[in-house]
Amino acid sequence: MLIFKLVSMLRGYAVIRLKGANSEKIINLLRRKGILMWDVEKNEDGIKLKISYEDYERYKDTIEEAKIETVNKKGLALKVKKLKLRKGFVAGLLILIVCLYIFSSMVWNVEVVGTNSTTAKNIIKVLEQNNVKVPMAHTGIKPKKIETLIYTNFNQFKFVEVYIEGSNLLIFVKEKKPENAEIQGNEPSSIISGKNAIINKVIAKSGQPMVKEGDVVYEGQTLVMGMVKNKNSEEFMMVPSDGTIYGKTYYNFEMKEEKLKNFEVGTDKSKNVYYLQKNGSSIKIIGDKGPYKNYNYKESTVRIPIISYLSDIAIIKGTYYEHIVKPVEIDENTAKNKMKIDMYDNLLKMCNQNAKVLDSSLNFSEDDEYFYLRAQIEVIEDIGKKVRLYPIEDINVEKTDDKN
Amino acid sequence: MGKFNNLRSKLADDLDIPNDAFSDNFDLKMHGNKKIIIENHLGITVYENNQVGIKTVENNIMIKGSKFIIEEINNYSVIIKGNIDEIIFGKRE
Repeated sequence: MLIFKLVSMLRGYAVIRLKGANSEKIINLLRRKGILMWDVEKNEDGIKLKISYEDYERYKDTIEEAKIETVNKKGLALKVKKLKLRKGFVAGLLILIVCLYIFSSMVWNVEVVGTNSTTAKNIIKVLEQNNVKVPMAHTGIKPKKIETLIYTNFNQFKFVEVYIEGSNLLIFVKEKKPENAEIQGNEPSSIISGKNAIINKVIAKSGQPMVKEGDVVYEGQTLVMGMVKNKNSEEFMMVPSDGTIYGKTYYNFEMKEEKLKNFEVGTDKSKNVYYLQKNGSSIKIIGDKGPYKNYNYKESTVRIPIISYLSDIAIIKGTYYEHIVKPVEIDENTAKNKMKIDMYDNLLKMCNQNAKVLDSSLNFSEDDEYFYLRAQIEVIEDIGKKVRLYPIEDINVEKTDDKN
Repeated sequence: MGKFNNLRSKLADDLDIPNDAFSDNFDLKMHGNKKIIIENHLGITVYENNQVGIKTVENNIMIKGSKFIIEEINNYSVIIKGNIDEIIFGKRE
């Protein structure tokens, strides 16, 4: 029945009303003429029924003769028939559809994401030189070709992806990271101290150790020298240093934790604010900015179909969720645990992965407002850091170059 | 007419042919007590909110109940919706 109703909506139908005592006779008359009737309802005004628009037009004279009242005419076919009279409107509509099709099948803007504005401008310049200019039809843009073009003209990108989104040509680029200057195994190098420490153990596999157990060393001090004396010629030669230098390091921490802490708790209340965004700037349409004292703000962009593709217009919906500040009293154990966890977190960030805690002294205290933790942690860790040694000839060459 | 129709109906039964295809008898289908479909009818005699009368070759069918709507009517079938309480088959004079 639903399909039938849908088809009748498309083909058009007329609603007619039969009045008087001989309504049944008229229904039978229409039936005998082969007219399909549906939704026949009887009420105080008479019998109301629907017939197809085609039948209505065919038997219009009969209907008029029988003095049947036409209540309404509905359907798409009727609307189309009416449109035939409004030629200007139809022409305008067709022009609009054609314009929409043409404009939406063109690229109007090139957007480069993932690099600075200068490089983005350079990319656009290169594209223009290679006849990729906006506005341009979607069919004329070959993303793979543009990607190859960017790869060949710019060496700094390790990843380029080009695709068309609506009327925008989006170019995503990822710049290469500068390579780490790792010291090769056969390069002359020394080991220096990365921290202030007391030497605990020196394991020098290669190079000349400069410190011994118990020595106090400072950050940057040489621990293993990459220059050793040649046994045969009494000359110094450069070698790659290798070894592990363990040192005792001390870390001091001072932490404090509030006794009464304010937490923000969300309520059920929320208010919306709407902005009209165009070319990056936005204008408020409905709602208030910051309606609550404490709030959490979330924003979402609503793109208007067709309009957003043709121009850069979008609607931003912002929602303010009300929060209230609730003071919560922190008990001593919780505060102590939190301070300890924070302290060890910081310690992990500061020392090496293989570090071992030798000793720790923790002093807790408190006043009216805060809990305090003063701690000293004694750690044994590898404090060595490899640095490159430059050959003397190279330095001389560089100096002579400068003079020239 | 009546005797000839009965003969055709009997023959259709014997030959396992659908009765309504061979004879002028009406075909009546009911969906619960909410919908009734009558095929091979000759028109409506009465249409009120609480009763609908249908004419067939040999019978007058009177459907009684409430809230009747004729969902569809054409030369061959009629579909009636509503709360059906009673169906009376009367012999046509």
